[in-house]
Amino acid sequence: MKRITIDPITRLEGHGKIEIFLNDQGEVLNAYLQIPELRGFERFCEGRPVEELPRIVPRICGV
Amino acid sequence: MPDKLKLALYWAATCGGCEVAVLDTNEKILDLAAAADIFLWPVAMDFKYQDAEDWPDAFIDVCLFNGAIRNSEGEHMAHLLRRKSKVLVAFGSCASFGGIPGLANVANAAQVFDRAYQATPSTDNASQVRPQTSVQVPEGELTLPSFYDTVRTLDQVEDVDYFMPGCPPVPERIWEVVGAILGGQLPPKGATIGVTHTTVCEECSRRKEEKMVNGFVRPHLVEPDPERCLLEQGLVCLGPATRGGCGARCLKAWMPCRGCYGPTDRVTDQGAKMLCAIASILNAEDEASAKKSVGDIADPLGTFYRFTLPASLLQRAAIPHFQH
Repeated sequence: MKRITIDPITRLEGHGKIEIFLNDQGEVLNAYLQIPELRGFERFCEGRPVEELPRIVPRICGV
Repeated sequence: MPDKLKLALYWAATCGGCEVAVLDTNEKILDLAAAADIFLWPVAMDFKYQDAEDWPDAFIDVCLFNGAIRNSEGEHMAHLLRRKSKVLVAFGSCASFGGIPGLANVANAAQVFDRAYQATPSTDNASQVRPQTSVQVPEGELTLPSFYDTVRTLDQVEDVDYFMPGCPPVPERIWEVVGAILGGQLPPKGATIGVTHTTVCEECSRRKEEKMVNGFVRPHLVEPDPERCLLEQGLVCLGPATRGGCGARCLKAWMPCRGCYGPTDRVTDQGAKMLCAIASILNAEDEASAKKSVGDIADPLGTFYRFTLPASLLQRAAIPHFQH
């Protein structure tokens, strides 16, 4: 079995990695997309005043 | 003809706004391409981590590193790009101070995971799956970076030559700094570049009347005088505690400053500086009335440390049974 790792995925916003597993004939057995990045907006937006969120959540993606 | 300058641009825990700010230099980006070769820039060009591992040490002349250090991948890349770069620049507020992702220092890793992967109303996760650093699949092992309890700034994990704050740094300042890099005119190591050495107030055209305030209001509840200082109208504005360089952009758009350029050279803790500024304009007879007036400020932590919590004296919230 052969393994191809694409790390990082480029030309997009964010971080990503792809693992592709090939059998001995070179056919794709399986592929996994992984997202190695998390910042936790879900948690740290809690407790912030609602009128401030338009100034915080644009930083989820600046692209 | 001398070799072209070798540049690398990288992002750790970030939104990509710093990358777009570089592109917002518009046609000047062509001048950059004429003077420098870019060897790493994940948002725009296809290079792999292995390419960077394979460079000789000190191969890169200047690395612009944006993003906070949130996980083991960010930390690894900080160490790698330090070793591979002659000059390492903490580019943007996240790399310089932790930035918006640094607000996660109100929680630890388990609390962030619990919220993001379980408690949010849109999440269905009956088997309580969480990210693992290693997982066995039929074909072999898959790995993910280790998610840290505490967000750190770039200079808390590596030696940094220059800091260029801003969320994002404004394109005009980026171009000034690129010019200084290309001309070999960088200041002494450790300097903050692409900024002024006074505060946002010095760049703000709003009229200050040296008025005291009786308390604070939330910005959506009032229509402020368009000409006057927002702070003197009772709107919390971090201008007095924030380094200039942005040209008071938010103020021109009627929005109070939230401090993205961080503290000035003389200040370590931006939030503490802002508390001093508030104390100096507050009409208060005694401690009780002062307490009542500042009690109107909706979210002191998230307002005074919006972009700088990991770089502050607080650094993070204390959490019982906090595991490092």
